[in-house]
Amino acid sequence: MDVYEVFVKKDGRDEFRHVGALEAATDELALVLAREGYVRRAEGDRLWVVRRDHVIVADDGFVAPNADKPHRHHDGAAVAARRRAAREAPE
Amino acid sequence: MRRWAAAVARSWVAMEDFEAFLDGGGLVEADDDMPDPYRQAVFAFIEMHANSELMGGLTERDWIPKTPGLRHKMAVLAKTQDEIGHGHLLYMVAADLGVKTRTEMLEDLFGGRSRFHNVFHYRAVTWGDQVAIAFLVDAAALISQQAVFKDCSYGPYKRILRRIIAEEGFHMRLGEDRMMRIAEGTARQRRMFQESLDRWFWPALQLFGPDSKPDDPLLRWHIKSERNEVLRDRWVQKFVPMLQGYGFSVPAPDLRWDDETRRWDLGPIDWAPLQRTLAQGGPDSARRIGEAADNWQRTAWVRAALSKGGARSDSSTVADNSRVSANGGASASGGNGGG
Ligand SMILES: [Fe+2]
Ligand SMILES: [Fe+2]
Repeated sequence: MDVYEVFVKKDGRDEFRHVGALEAATDELALVLAREGYVRRAEGDRLWVVRRDHVIVADDGFVAPNADKPHRHHDGAAVAARRRAAREAPE
Repeated sequence: MRRWAAAVARSWVAMEDFEAFLDGGGLVEADDDMPDPYRQAVFAFIEMHANSELMGGLTERDWIPKTPGLRHKMAVLAKTQDEIGHGHLLYMVAADLGVKTRTEMLEDLFGGRSRFHNVFHYRAVTWGDQVAIAFLVDAAALISQQAVFKDCSYGPYKRILRRIIAEEGFHMRLGEDRMMRIAEGTARQRRMFQESLDRWFWPALQLFGPDSKPDDPLLRWHIKSERNEVLRDRWVQKFVPMLQGYGFSVPAPDLRWDDETRRWDLGPIDWAPLQRTLAQGGPDSARRIGEAADNWQRTAWVRAALSKGGARSDSSTVADNSRVSANGGASASGGNGGG
């Protein structure tokens, strides 16, 4: 038995969303069980299953350096200050 | 780089840090580090929920052949499938906590070593009982699940509850529809339902459990969002007038309307029956557990058919049931307990 992660999407709408997991012996049975377990009322028309052990996970801290890159944002503070000053200046 | 569940994504030095994270609305995932008492508490809660769905689904199944009319029979089939489906979803979420495997959980259930909701320790005697269960018990389950969903700190449980709650809503509406038909039926039908109500009102109410303890860790860790007595009262305020509106009487001798608080007051509650069910000593506990265990044995061939040896490796259509079961039969002796 392998664990599969299940993703569902409405055709023409939204994105594929993770809905849960299940255990199955083969890829085909994973799809059958996903249909019976997660889309019994046609909650989505498109279905993906991915074997959990095929998911590649980034190590702890792998993304962390990117939380400290303020130059990739721009808060527009200087421009906003100039506009505010112009608004508040006497005519 | 790692594969799923190979390492922990976060670690906690002290319980206070973890609790501050939860108080701030933090969600815990299956592969996160979490304090062991939290893991055990979440696991026990989800395991009991999973067991209850399975036990409820099995009772529901017993009534499929006896359900009057094709339309209702189909609805009961769908409800049975939902409840067993809820069991599947929840056992998966519980197993991912790494405390017990699904097989271990099922063995404990069939061995009478783990708990399930009190209501499934009673026997449904008539069709009226089945309607009372669909209406009162599914509504009680829905109210308590909504309160867990609202603020649940364990992410996988919260997400799976969204789907379960939607389906419990169908069950409750189905139950009310069936009760309405009985209420509009003959005097004999109404008498039957009143007797069912007399049997099921109190067990359904006790599904919420006694008043929450002041230091209930389930509340502190944002697994439950509301106290048991608050949820129970919500059910009472909703269902007492509703049952009366359909012309039935609520089997509570001390029931009174409080003009000051503008609320229904049930009077004192006898918790002894609930305590008995928690010790597997309810009126129908032994039969129910035995029947569930027998069912597990009888369906071994299905699990064998769905196991690696039973499932066909070629890629032709999976809808070919005859071949799937033929292969499953051949390998059934292999005995896949895991399902
Ligand atoms: Fe359910
Ligand atoms: Fe239900």
